[in-house]
Amino acid sequence: MSDKLLGYMGRVLKVDLTSRTFEEYPWTDSDRERTLGGKIMAADILYRHIEPGMKAFDESNWIVVSTGPLTGCGCPNTSRFNISTISPLTGIVTSSNCGGDFGLSLKRAGYDAVIFSGRSAAPVTVNITCSGVTFDDASDLWGMSTSETQEQLPKRAGKLVIGSAGENKVLFACVFSNERTAGRGGVGAVFGDKLLKAVTASGHKIPEVANREKLKKTNAKWTKLLMSHPLTGRQLPKLGTAGLIAPMQAHGILATKNFSKGRFDGFEKVSGEELAEKHLISNAACTTCVIRCARTVKVDGKNVKGPELETLGLLGPNILNDDIEIILKWNYELDELGMDSISASGAMAFAMELKEKGIWDCGLEFGRTDNISQMLNDIAHRRGDGDILADGAKRMSERFGGKDFAIHAKGMELSAYEPRRAVGQGLGYATSNRGGCHLNAGYLVVVEGLGLDVDSLTPHGKAALSIMFQNLMESVSACGSCLFTSYAVLPGFLVDKPNLLLTRAVLACFPYVGPVVNLLSHFTKAPAVNIPLLPHSYAIKYATGIKSTMARMLTWGAYGYNIERISNIILGQKAGADKLPARFTDVPQDRDNPKTKVPLERMKKVYYRARGWSDGIPKYRRLKSLGIDIDKEFYEKIAEEAHQNGKGDS
Amino acid sequence: MAKVTVKLFGVLRIDTHISCEEIDAEKVLDIFAALNKKAYEIYSKTLKKDNETKKPSPISFRSAVVFINGERCAQKGKRLCDNDEVWILSPSSGG
Repeated sequence: MSDKLLGYMGRVLKVDLTSRTFEEYPWTDSDRERTLGGKIMAADILYRHIEPGMKAFDESNWIVVSTGPLTGCGCPNTSRFNISTISPLTGIVTSSNCGGDFGLSLKRAGYDAVIFSGRSAAPVTVNITCSGVTFDDASDLWGMSTSETQEQLPKRAGKLVIGSAGENKVLFACVFSNERTAGRGGVGAVFGDKLLKAVTASGHKIPEVANREKLKKTNAKWTKLLMSHPLTGRQLPKLGTAGLIAPMQAHGILATKNFSKGRFDGFEKVSGEELAEKHLISNAACTTCVIRCARTVKVDGKNVKGPELETLGLLGPNILNDDIEIILKWNYELDELGMDSISASGAMAFAMELKEKGIWDCGLEFGRTDNISQMLNDIAHRRGDGDILADGAKRMSERFGGKDFAIHAKGMELSAYEPRRAVGQGLGYATSNRGGCHLNAGYLVVVEGLGLDVDSLTPHGKAALSIMFQNLMESVSACGSCLFTSYAVLPGFLVDKPNLLLTRAVLACFPYVGPVVNLLSHFTKAPAVNIPLLPHSYAIKYATGIKSTMARMLTWGAYGYNIERISNIILGQKAGADKLPARFTDVPQDRDNPKTKVPLERMKKVYYRARGWSDGIPKYRRLKSLGIDIDKEFYEKIAEEAHQNGKGDS
Repeated sequence: MAKVTVKLFGVLRIDTHISCEEIDAEKVLDIFAALNKKAYEIYSKTLKKDNETKKPSPISFRSAVVFINGERCAQKGKRLCDNDEVWILSPSSGG
């Protein structure tokens, strides 16, 4: 094996949009080994750059687009790339992951990541190739939809574009690459603020790997594992993420009527089965994906991307709509406008409840569908009441009231899982660094009823499991891999034979694994092995030469989670910010069952102790133990401010 | 025998082409047998149409997650009552 780390292109590009110049950003093998890549690398770069008080729309805010070491190395499901920046929606760091072809193309152009700084004076397209960077005037692209914009750019290049929502700085605007989206946290709005309409990347370089033969064998085994696993090999290809609607209904976790309920009578009409049986044209996939969970459907005679679970759930049951055809249309419109369907529908559901309670009337109401298309357009162009919704549910609640039922965490609207019957998912939503995201939360709902049948109402063990899943998914994402590949870590027999006595016995033990998981997290040498269910660590080893193990994956994850968290504290996140709306913590979903609410404070205590945090703030010694470099005096100042500002808030 | 309404979801529904059936059954296990029979009939009709002779293998319900009237039921021997609504789902994930 070579002394130099392989799998990477070895260069990071920094583009200054103000001066339209570019340079290489210093990034060494030691940085690569510490951060792995992707979102952890981006978090590390942002951590070194941000200062207290920095805001999303400051010229000094950076956008970091980063890839993982497995991207371009022939591994399955590893075309994912990450976009991190200060979020205009939450005011803290957001990381948004995308499966389009831009990441692969960026590596072919010879870079592992690109940083955008400054602000362009006029709309611009940045073109990255092996021979450097060029800047094109994008005035003629300004105003175009995401698909129209991509059609105007070179066919063979990987692309990143924004639509009208990004141009108008809608706080939950996305960035598109092909039909895939970096959807959450408003990264598109930061592109729009910098007048960065599009980025292209192209080239012919391919990364060298440390052990091609072993990597090839690992990739073959990995592909076989994904294709034979009940979740990644059967459910996701056959039904897509939309296949979750029915199980969510059964478990009472399908967000309904702005999360006031967990079940919707008309769920079958907007289910994955309905989509598969009546609307599916074909499966689609991100580049290099073997799962192929994406759906192609027809809208107005055109084959377009179908809705994911979140869009179906939040534009269906959550606004009391059972018309799937109209959801397909809205989904297409949202994509064309370049807007996050989760936050857009969350803001609309909140507006509907405001109307129902007689607080504010913008014309939206539960069950009414005729004015949604118009509202989506108004939001994207910040017209009329759409301008108010474009700022998201949190700001709306600050303006009109209704904080108890403004469904967000840290300002980010929640995805479609109602957490009162999946309390571990509730803890995840609250503690997630980027806000109300199910995946950054650790996606515990997959063991709380959907994939495995662990008791979803008990708080026992949920803190430890959340931490383990959060850390694991952090490193899976950082290596460039799709998060769905981490589901294969759940042993197939537990998933496939849910009624076996052995399965039930194993699952009954889950709530008591906390101490063991905590030990593994703190004594990271303990799981210094690789397990076949986590092929990522083998692949990292054979692609890069880094001695990767299960323990190393968890350590990378912990580093990423903590560096993002301390960055958030620097940016002004208060102690006690890990909150949920009172609807989830104070009001049981089932009035006859007091257990059907999220015992957040109880779980948070255990979570913080295990994380080494004090009221959501990483302790100095925890940061040091993870190798996060921070000046003690500076740390004490920001920690004190966070505690002071959080008083009375938590 | 109880007369129950059975609804299938997920992979099992896609594989069997059955969405909803009225079934006479004493226990959950009887439902699986009845569904297999029904799935075989549907499959045979498809084969006849395509002039094929391949015999289908029985549908496996080992991964079935059963709910009876909204409550999770892990026992396949559980006795059923008239008008019970039985949902049969498969384990799922997504994002």
